[in-house]
Amino acid sequence: MAKDGPTPLERFINGILPENPVYRQLLGMCPTLAVTGNMKAAMTMSGAVLFVLFCANIITSLIRHLLKPHLRILVFTLTIATFVTIADRFLAAYMYEMSKELGPYIPLIIVNCVIICRCEVCASKQGVIAAGADAIGQSIGFALALASIASVREILGEGSWFAMRVMPEAWPAWAIMILPPGAFITLGLLLGGANWFGMSRSAKTAA
Amino acid sequence: MKRTGSRCGGYIGQAWLVLAMALLFGAVLAGAHIALQPRIDENKLDETYGQVPHLVRVAIGETGRFLSADRSRTETWETPGGKIAYKAFAADGRHLGWVIKAVGDGFADKIELLIGLDKRAEIITGLYVLAQKETPGLGNKIAGRKWKGKVWADQFTGRRTDVPLEETKAVPTKANQIEAITGATISSNSVCGIVNNAVGEFRDKMGTLKKKD
Amino acid sequence: MTQETVNNDATETEAPVTHVAPGPHLGGGCLTARWMMLDVLIGLLPVLLVSLWVFGWYAARVLAICVGSCVVAEGIFTAMRRRQCRLGDFSAVVTGVILAFSLPGTAPWYVAVIGSFAAIGIGKLAFGGLGQNIFNPAMVGRAFVMIAFTSAMAAGGYVASEKAGVPDALTQATPMTALQQEGKVASLGDLFWGDTNGSLGETSAFACLLGGLYLLIRRTAAWQIPLGVLLAVGIIAGGQNLMDLQAKWTVGHHLMGGALLFGALFIATDPVTSPLTGRGRWIFGLGIGAIVMLLRSLSAYPEGVMFAVLLMNAVVPLINRWTVPRPVGGPVPSKA
Repeated sequence: MAKDGPTPLERFINGILPENPVYRQLLGMCPTLAVTGNMKAAMTMSGAVLFVLFCANIITSLIRHLLKPHLRILVFTLTIATFVTIADRFLAAYMYEMSKELGPYIPLIIVNCVIICRCEVCASKQGVIAAGADAIGQSIGFALALASIASVREILGEGSWFAMRVMPEAWPAWAIMILPPGAFITLGLLLGGANWFGMSRSAKTAA
Repeated sequence: MKRTGSRCGGYIGQAWLVLAMALLFGAVLAGAHIALQPRIDENKLDETYGQVPHLVRVAIGETGRFLSADRSRTETWETPGGKIAYKAFAADGRHLGWVIKAVGDGFADKIELLIGLDKRAEIITGLYVLAQKETPGLGNKIAGRKWKGKVWADQFTGRRTDVPLEETKAVPTKANQIEAITGATISSNSVCGIVNNAVGEFRDKMGTLKKKD
Repeated sequence: MTQETVNNDATETEAPVTHVAPGPHLGGGCLTARWMMLDVLIGLLPVLLVSLWVFGWYAARVLAICVGSCVVAEGIFTAMRRRQCRLGDFSAVVTGVILAFSLPGTAPWYVAVIGSFAAIGIGKLAFGGLGQNIFNPAMVGRAFVMIAFTSAMAAGGYVASEKAGVPDALTQATPMTALQQEGKVASLGDLFWGDTNGSLGETSAFACLLGGLYLLIRRTAAWQIPLGVLLAVGIIAGGQNLMDLQAKWTVGHHLMGGALLFGALFIATDPVTSPLTGRGRWIFGLGIGAIVMLLRSLSAYPEGVMFAVLLMNAVVPLINRWTVPRPVGGPVPSKA
């Protein structure tokens, strides 16, 4: 029934590192830069993305035979927007402080390219199981990327991790790491590091 | 894509899935709203009542002793125009002051403020930003401890209400000047304007306040 | 410019050799880069002496930390990129010295170290090393620590508490801050000789002019840039002065106060991050001067040389494209 494509397991594993949404596909840069000032915000965002991506992928996969090519993006956006709104309201109801901190970035998941990309690339072509595995794999990859950036920024910028003090009291907080320039610098350096690592590994396998 | 039936039928044939999903999702969202909105409103009210004691603290010069977020010490009053004001009492029943809610246009979206006033509404005893969606990194410094390591809104504490407040980009030299946030002049200016309007209106209508049940 | 430096040593017996090589002239010429950097260091000597005289031990401390960290950073990062270590061209030392001269004497050690690593790592080697960087590395380092450690680098960070052994200059507010916050005006004499507080290298107009003149005569620095900066500041500040004749902070104060002369002569003239053509250098210099005056007059910061240089660095590629020289004999006719 499904067209030939990667198996659910491959989809799951690919999402985590080989096709990491942030480090490999450079998608979803807006939340990657905006909410990685501390671990709590980054992990809440990752959770919201997991919920939205999973639901959107499942729904899209279920209706994939009914989709008309020129209306498919409309349907994707409709689906994503619905689940984002639910996630946003849920956070406002049960995690009020975090919802205030994340502010407009939860509604902005609607335009997060990771999700629309997964609907297009995977869910609209493959079965429910593959779509679900893909959503979970990509979300874990996204969460790992956000966690790596947020760890660097929170530890250097506030001397803490998950709001727990990890640096000595004398640690001077690097305010720049909490501010937007810190996000760009951290992302750039980590991206460079990931590429460097990838290159040296592929050089080794080639040799 | 075959076109079958009438022109109208063609459109329906193309769009039935979108329409059906829109209806379905609309119903789901309505359900979510009914289920979650009371809790969200409750959260906002909690936040408001929680802030009331802090916003009138300066008026009495006592810190903490008579203060608690106990709702029984806060009464809700209303102007004839439907504006809400919270009347704050100390533990011994003394009237400490008022906390009024003010809404106005910011740079990006509406800004909601809570303004603390002494009982004659002559001095601002505190300011709290309840909701804002200003530019992250610039305008959103009006809320929280992000402005030069301080709370920007604390500047308003102790200001007199008879002269309108104005914002300045330099270091304030006059009693009614508020230092603007660098790069967020419009957000800073909006807050000043909202405070001026709300306090002015409240002073005019203080006599007409009625207790709300 | 690099060709000229090489030709200076041509002896009489040999026919003059014109070095012709296809661009970009970025990779080669280790010798010339080294000579230019040495020239800059020589030009910075008067500034060094004044800052040692005014700030004493404080200046020496920051200078040592910055130069040391820059050299170490250069070593580490070039090794990471598996490139030949090019410490011999002294560019890391120059970056360290200029960074140190743009920091307050009271800067904590970690500010100097992190600033140096940011300057070399983010400012220079992330772009590919000497000759490839878009932004002046020392200014990138300074901007980094300025935003990271606002309290150490803002107006208050410059002032040390009064106690024995602290130089007098360090206990006052810097002239630019005193002007912005209290309306106090420093005397022109103090600004000229440098007996004021401020970043280590910026206090003395005299020392900057002396060292800068050496660079201009050696043609290590392009004369159009400092002249453009001073002209723009002179015209704008002069206009302000004419509109308000009573103003105590005059054109002279604007020209000699703050980091203007140091920036115009030593920072903006970095050959890597400034335009290639004469016309382009004029635009570059005038732009810096105009932005400095804009920031000084209208922004919350007392001084704007660092931001002005960084902003104009960003448009250098554009300036280079605008000012491509016309080939001899006019433009190549297009095929009709």
